[in-house]
Amino acid sequence: MSNNLEIEIKKPKLDLNYTSDKKPVHSDANPDVKPLPKVTIDGKTYEFRPGDTIMQVAERMKVHEEIPRYCYHPGMPIAGTCRMCTVEVEKAPKLMTSCSTPAADGMVVHTRSEKVLKSRTGVMDFLLTNHPLDCPVCDKAGECDLQDYNFEYGPSKSNFKEEKRVYVDATTKKLSDKITLNMNRCVHCERCVRFTDDVTKTNDLVMVNRGWHKELEATDPEKGLTNDYQGCLTDFCPVGALTMNDFRFKKRSWFLTKKASVCDRCSKGCNIEVHSDADIVYRYIPIFNEMVNGHWMCDEGRTSYNDFMNPMRVIAPLMKHEGEFHATSFETLLTDIKKHVREASSVELVVGTDATREEAALLKDKVPALFGKSMNVSYHNGFISSLAEDKKLDHMLRMTDKTPNTRGVEEQGLLALKNGEVTSDVVIFFRNGRAGIPKMKANQKVILWGVWTIDEVKNFPSQNVLAVIPGLATIEKAGSYKNADGIVQKFHPAITHRGSALSAHQVADVLKSLN
Amino acid sequence: MGTINISRKYTAKQKSYLPAIFVGLKITMKHFIKGFFFRKNVTIQYPEVKRDYSDRFRGMHFISVDKNKTENCTACFLCETVCPADCIHIVADEREDEFNPDGVKKEKKPVSFDIDALRCCFCGFCEEACPKDAIKMSGNYEMAVSSREEAFYDLDHLKRDIKGRGKIV
Repeated sequence: MSNNLEIEIKKPKLDLNYTSDKKPVHSDANPDVKPLPKVTIDGKTYEFRPGDTIMQVAERMKVHEEIPRYCYHPGMPIAGTCRMCTVEVEKAPKLMTSCSTPAADGMVVHTRSEKVLKSRTGVMDFLLTNHPLDCPVCDKAGECDLQDYNFEYGPSKSNFKEEKRVYVDATTKKLSDKITLNMNRCVHCERCVRFTDDVTKTNDLVMVNRGWHKELEATDPEKGLTNDYQGCLTDFCPVGALTMNDFRFKKRSWFLTKKASVCDRCSKGCNIEVHSDADIVYRYIPIFNEMVNGHWMCDEGRTSYNDFMNPMRVIAPLMKHEGEFHATSFETLLTDIKKHVREASSVELVVGTDATREEAALLKDKVPALFGKSMNVSYHNGFISSLAEDKKLDHMLRMTDKTPNTRGVEEQGLLALKNGEVTSDVVIFFRNGRAGIPKMKANQKVILWGVWTIDEVKNFPSQNVLAVIPGLATIEKAGSYKNADGIVQKFHPAITHRGSALSAHQVADVLKSLN
Repeated sequence: MGTINISRKYTAKQKSYLPAIFVGLKITMKHFIKGFFFRKNVTIQYPEVKRDYSDRFRGMHFISVDKNKTENCTACFLCETVCPADCIHIVADEREDEFNPDGVKKEKKPVSFDIDALRCCFCGFCEEACPKDAIKMSGNYEMAVSSREEAFYDLDHLKRDIKGRGKIV
């Protein structure tokens, strides 16, 4: 790897505190000022930033096991309603909720004393009073906070023998085309309500009625949920009350293999965890990254794995012969392409801005020489014509530029395609399923390279597609993207490609062996 | 170190072999007389007469159904999880409302439920794991098939009519 591929992270000026109405208490306190106040948690003394609550100190200092919580979420304002996180503070008459009690200098906290454990058992007993025993059909089973905490703190036996409460109308209620609500499972932590109030600021969920009849509803039941971050509701819902239709009943969570990657649906580059089983991806979930996406991720990116798992994706080298596409070997295909390229009067190589930085460097520096022909190499985006047009679509994450690496490709010294139009005799177009398609004449000779579906190839603006070289998608290869904030993010393959597609570097190796 | 001699020393009586032969012949004659003169046979006429196995015998799988002929299975994947032979393959989906008279109890259904009987080791773990008592193992031990495809039990086959534990009589 050359030197320009090292990770370079510039501290961006980001407004990551999406809950800006309710700034944390310590926003002005300087953490570098010494001496810092000290708090003792379970016999160990920790320094903390003034204004942190006990929970936040424990989180920041990574105090042994986590303090159990339902309503507390680091990305949302503090509510203190679930009473699961209570801890014993010396000299305090009662147990304190660690999520909402500010730590004080000299405070002595016990997170696992007998009194605390008894209290948690009581909370669990009450939560399970009405919680149905449908873990076998619940999608959350295996990653459910209620299951985990019940295993750790819960009573072995319920004290209740009464019938459980059933919300007849809300057992499987579609809040939108993306989210299904099962109100019976809800533990009323109200994370979802606070999320729509303070994070997305769309206010589209509300708790109606009180006590026994407390029920989650869309603020406008006719419209339902409308925000673009609905998938996040299922991430932080501690039980299986809110489930995503896209993943609902597809796979049990314990079968999933989890690997980190980067979302390539827009120029934001959210950090994701790819959940797959036997190299079939079932969902993406966001990974916390303070500098990029915080805790969240948009729905568009979340469901974008469907494009790569498309059964119509081209995963074998295709060559056009007498008007029909035929699968062939890479050697035959590349020999044929080479012939076409050498015979042409002028050749253009268009790189989609969804190529990784490594691929862009390879395509610019090596590929023309491997074909033995001088090419005009440029990049094409399809969504924006200049980087200044790449704007935020809302106050959170979504961007105008729907390709992941416009800045990274430009950094390699490529220029944008003039007027978004190709003019040469033969065009090689490299695209990983995200970039737009440039304008071209209906009979222009085109060689497609990268991630394509059969429908895209058949409905291509130019009807004269000579060949398709299948390539690897983001989750199947290693590389790096430079996102909208100028952060370079490296990633490794999250799944193994099961077709016969090769990475751009492997195709270059085949080309080299043909010379 | 070295070898240990474990060979026995035989008496003259044992070396002659004749007493042992007569003991064996006595047992043979006892069973011959029992069967030939008193008709007390050990063997059964198999295809016509079926052998009676224990109630806990683990034979061909089936899925129990309710009164509407809807399978009790809710596609929870616990059998697939516990299966040591990886022979169960389930695809789940949402159950339509008309097949869902009991509301939340059966919101999920198996679209396909395949058991590869050639892989199955008949351990009965699936039966034990099932929270709905849906998958069970019958007393049917006649599982010979003439092609491999017939040994893949699909949902239709598993939902077949079974009386009791499905013992063959």
